[in-house]
Amino acid sequence: MTAAAESLLRPRPSKLVPFFMASLAGHAGLVGAALLFSWLWGAPIHALDQKPITASLVRLGKPRDEKLLPRKEEPPPPPPPAAAKPVDVPAPVPAPAAVAIPTKDAKPEPKKPADTKPAKDTKKSLFDALNKTARAAPAEELEGAADGDADGDSAKQEGERYFALLTAVVKRNYDVSSSIEEAERRRLRATVSMRIGPNGQLLDVNLSKPSGNELFDDAVVGAVKRAAPFTAPPAHLRDDLKKTGIGIEFTP
Amino acid sequence: MIRNALMVSVLLAAGSWAQQPTLSVSGANFRPTPLAVAVPVAQDDGAKKAAAELDGALAFDLEASGLFQMIDRKSFLSDAKEGVTATSITFPNWVNVGAESLVKTQLSSDGDALRADLRLFNVNAGREVLKVSEAGTLKDARRLAHKLANAVYKEFAKETGPFESKIAFVRRSKEGKDVYLADWDGRGAVALTSGSVNVLPAVQPSGAVGFTSYRRGKPEGYLWRQGNVTPLVSSGRMVSGLAFSPDGKRLAYSVSDGEHAEIFIAAADGTNPVAATDTKFFLNSSPSWSPDGKRLAFVSNRSGTPQIHVMNADGSGVERLTFQGNYNTTPAWSPRGDVIAFTARDERNAFDLFTVDVATKKIKRLTQDAGSNEEPSFSPNGRLILFTSTRAGGQQLFVMTADGTVQLALPAGMSDVSTPDWGP
Repeated sequence: MTAAAESLLRPRPSKLVPFFMASLAGHAGLVGAALLFSWLWGAPIHALDQKPITASLVRLGKPRDEKLLPRKEEPPPPPPPAAAKPVDVPAPVPAPAAVAIPTKDAKPEPKKPADTKPAKDTKKSLFDALNKTARAAPAEELEGAADGDADGDSAKQEGERYFALLTAVVKRNYDVSSSIEEAERRRLRATVSMRIGPNGQLLDVNLSKPSGNELFDDAVVGAVKRAAPFTAPPAHLRDDLKKTGIGIEFTP
Repeated sequence: MIRNALMVSVLLAAGSWAQQPTLSVSGANFRPTPLAVAVPVAQDDGAKKAAAELDGALAFDLEASGLFQMIDRKSFLSDAKEGVTATSITFPNWVNVGAESLVKTQLSSDGDALRADLRLFNVNAGREVLKVSEAGTLKDARRLAHKLANAVYKEFAKETGPFESKIAFVRRSKEGKDVYLADWDGRGAVALTSGSVNVLPAVQPSGAVGFTSYRRGKPEGYLWRQGNVTPLVSSGRMVSGLAFSPDGKRLAYSVSDGEHAEIFIAAADGTNPVAATDTKFFLNSSPSWSPDGKRLAFVSNRSGTPQIHVMNADGSGVERLTFQGNYNTTPAWSPRGDVIAFTARDERNAFDLFTVDVATKKIKRLTQDAGSNEEPSFSPNGRLILFTSTRAGGQQLFVMTADGTVQLALPAGMSDVSTPDWGP
């Protein structure tokens, strides 16, 4: 071996090239395998024109004759009117008692019996007693947490509480135009990105993945805007929510 | 080069690690869009005269569409003189009254000519989403309103609105009954007949109107076209219930000899009639075409009581659709094809409107506890139903959404009206 061949200054072929080539081939193989796997054992194809399953529980009551035409569902009866508060009407000033002028033929008026107390209505008093008992009994308490939320609908906390709060408040404002056809609704999916300030204020909101339906896209952005301002985020999320932000994926 | 590629892939990976968390929200509340329709801004005296008429027709069309929840003008916070462009509108004022969309209209006139510019705004985004300009005459302010309403309707429903279509109906007169043709809201009604008893109009796609008339004693089919009335079907027996196929090329009708009634199919001019039903001793009547023109809905009492049936246009494949109730009549096949609306008498002897799903035969009630409701006829797009109702006194024309959620009296306010037919 010559000194020139051993020289460090001599350009040698890089070992990185075969490494990258091998890596590329390996990755290509992996992608190919994944595609093959998804093709052979992938998720079933969803039929978009399939009708949604609707299910409802029948209420307790007398069944309607099947040969009769249906009736519209009656709205629930209005709540009973609150008991009218007795109005304080000033008692009328009693008229001065007429002085009977005794005449010769006049017969003495029979004495009125003394005012007796009205007979006690036993049924009424029984209902009153039952009402009092019912009022005194505490309402059945739902399971939750001492520091739970009024809007919470779960017995146990799951995941990050602040995210659950965001989800709940946005969902309350999630109104969409009914002019969107049923068939169209089933394919709608849009993602909104937003950043939240340390006091819960909405710093910015944008549609990061539109659904393609303008009405739906407007509605989901509107839902976030109407839900703002939010509760101030907890300390450990403040930086992330301000800098990175958070996304919300909306589906009907 | 390879080093550069390596650097890009590392940066992409780093980017994906910093991806924001994503929450999931579902369970949307689908409901009509809250819409504020501002009072039109009239720029001159001529426009002022037409403003009220245009305003009333536009507001009625939009409300009747069922797509919108109209916001009461009394609650508006913005001044009536607020501008009509996005830059001059105080959108928070409209947000605060619950509006999500806002319609602003500006009118101007030049002699008899009237010009209307309508702008539709997305209130939350504070931007204009539609601008339409229509021109007409001062006398046609209402028809201009229908054009503008159709434009707004199309923006939301992505299909042509029904507000420029025509309806035909029958109205009682001193001499009998006459057939009228009017705009969809019942206004601008013109009598097509005068004297005798003329009933059951059917609007042809060409605009001609077929009807049944007793002018020669027996009921026979006639056609009104551009002011001229000519005999259409005269079989020597009693002819009634003309129905033109959606392409206008064929005509279905019922022929009765007193003992039984059969449905016939003929060419649109009444020639080449062929019997589609043949049931001795039973009645088959009130044919209504499916939107593809291949099938017919009709009433038949072959099972003992009048029920809704369907059959192929050649009379084959008869199928009974209704099995509830014992008096189901006047079928109208929706132009969307999925349901047939009909009149039925329920167990309380009330006449009400129902739909039956053609595929599942499921019956849905549309009207209830509001007078007698009869004779449904679908709008050309199948989203609305025209019908008669006695809920406000005499028999008047009403319109409702196909699911029955919004029900309004037509503003024309005529009484003694019957058998409406919604034309194209």
